[in-house]
Amino acid sequence: MARRTLAGMALAVEAEQLVKHYSGRGGAVEAVRGVDLTVEAGEVFGFLGPNGAGKSTTVRMLTTLMSITSGSARVAGIDVAADPDGARRKIGVALQEAGLDARQTGRELVILQARLFGSSRTQAAGRAQELLELVDLVEAADRRIKGYSGGMKRRLDLASALVHEPEVLFLDEPTTGLDPASRLTVWEELRRINGRGTTIFLTTQYLEEADQLCDRLAIIDDGLIVREGTPADLKTELRERRGLATEPTLDEVFLDVTGRTRERTAGEVQEVQG
Amino acid sequence: MTHAMVLGQRALREAWRTPEALLPTLFIPLFFLVVNVGQAGKIFPTGSTPFLEGQNYAAFQLPSSILLAASFGSAALYLVEDIEGGYFDKLRAAPVSRTAIVLGRLAAEAAKSVAITTAIVLLALPFGISIASGPIGFLLLILLTASWAVVFAGFMQLIALKTRSAAATNSGGLVFFPLLFLTPNFVPRDLLTRPMEIASTYNPVTYIMEGLRSLILEDLAWAPIGRGFAVVAVLGVLMVALNVRTIRRYD
Ligand SMILES: Nc1ncnc2c1ncn2[C@@H]1O[C@H](COP(=O)(O)OP(=O)(O)OP(=O)(O)O)[C@@H](O)[C@H]1O
Ligand SMILES: [Mg+2]
Repeated sequence: MARRTLAGMALAVEAEQLVKHYSGRGGAVEAVRGVDLTVEAGEVFGFLGPNGAGKSTTVRMLTTLMSITSGSARVAGIDVAADPDGARRKIGVALQEAGLDARQTGRELVILQARLFGSSRTQAAGRAQELLELVDLVEAADRRIKGYSGGMKRRLDLASALVHEPEVLFLDEPTTGLDPASRLTVWEELRRINGRGTTIFLTTQYLEEADQLCDRLAIIDDGLIVREGTPADLKTELRERRGLATEPTLDEVFLDVTGRTRERTAGEVQEVQG
Repeated sequence: MTHAMVLGQRALREAWRTPEALLPTLFIPLFFLVVNVGQAGKIFPTGSTPFLEGQNYAAFQLPSSILLAASFGSAALYLVEDIEGGYFDKLRAAPVSRTAIVLGRLAAEAAKSVAITTAIVLLALPFGISIASGPIGFLLLILLTASWAVVFAGFMQLIALKTRSAAATNSGGLVFFPLLFLTPNFVPRDLLTRPMEIASTYNPVTYIMEGLRSLILEDLAWAPIGRGFAVVAVLGVLMVALNVRTIRRYD
């Protein structure tokens, strides 16, 4: 049985003491070292952290793409290790590297994806048209993906993650590499998708994005969750603890919890230059 | 099954849209056929060479060429592209049986092989080659070759899945040298030198080649045909099982 919140809503994501060790030539890497997460249905949840903190690794475990070293995870109430196919039916995934196939057209890719999630040929064609409209790719739909811009690829990847109307949508850095206008377009789309009831779990490097989009955040550093709460809570906490006169930005919260002060960051940059 | 089919269609579209990869699989084997026959044809004249069964030396060489055409394993390089580009993860994140993921590409490889083998045999007919085992034999020849294409592609995909590298996969493809040349490809097995005969006896491709050759040179001879099919059946099941296992454990 999936755990429920007091309000009776099923949890969209629940992870308990998730651990991932990679074993490579240079010895084992402890990428994720005991992560607990709960995301309520309907939330937009932001997962932040510096490079190499373990964000993608966590997402890959939650989306059945990677074995879990220890701990457990449920998505939409389904244990991802015990019933991966069950979990896959409930989730949509757009990873850090937009997983596209350059030789197909956008439409072919979305139709194939819909077929893999059990749609008939006609259903798939209809669904593809709908989704291509949603992400504004109708005009480019019958061109090969090879010629798409970075922003178009991201949006297509997003569309293909939505073919089966997933309960939970996992997005690993959905706006990295996008220009500001395309980023705003993606935000709009994510708000619309969330408005229809889909829970969104996203990782991002852009704190502005997290501030704008997310109901709740967790910050991971070196494989461990170091802060969790609403953007407002996190800022208030820092203001009170530091006795600041004005509300800090999420950037400041991030630098504070990941142990990187502005001065140190600046110093590191100087070292590289020197 | 539907899943394997739509994935197979996608793989065929991919091949069709990459003619620069497809055409060499037709022309290199034809080139070898012409060159090999040009070099050794005079040594083995039709009338005085019993193992030709009344046909010319090109008929004897044809199996080597169609096996070469079936041993490019280009599917594996597309798979590496899928892995590197992240599309493979997208497939893995879909509720699709891992067997369907493997069979999709292999089915496409079989279909490609049917087309290419048919083309090579048809192009060879004007050069005085005939299929002595008749229309049924022709179908069996296509089927046996396509099955070998599946085995070889399965092997290459296994390397692709293990190494996730195009360079390693390409190098892995070089096994086709020992596989195709440690065989009775110029003369029947009993005319090989002793070490070569031993090597070819342990090489599974020998039995496929002998099966194909018997289909071209003789009326239906079930013993060599049966050995050929038995070899591809065993290797085929093994390759599919290993591929599925590797995808299940893929991290
Ligand atoms: N396949 C792998 N083999 C070995 N180590 C890995 C592998 N993938 C990731 N790691 C290591 O695990 C740690 C976490 O990586 P991960 O990709 O999860 O970080 P991330 O938070 O997503 O970083 P980024 O912001 O750069 O995307 C890093 O130290 C990384 O080097
Ligand atoms: Mg990452």
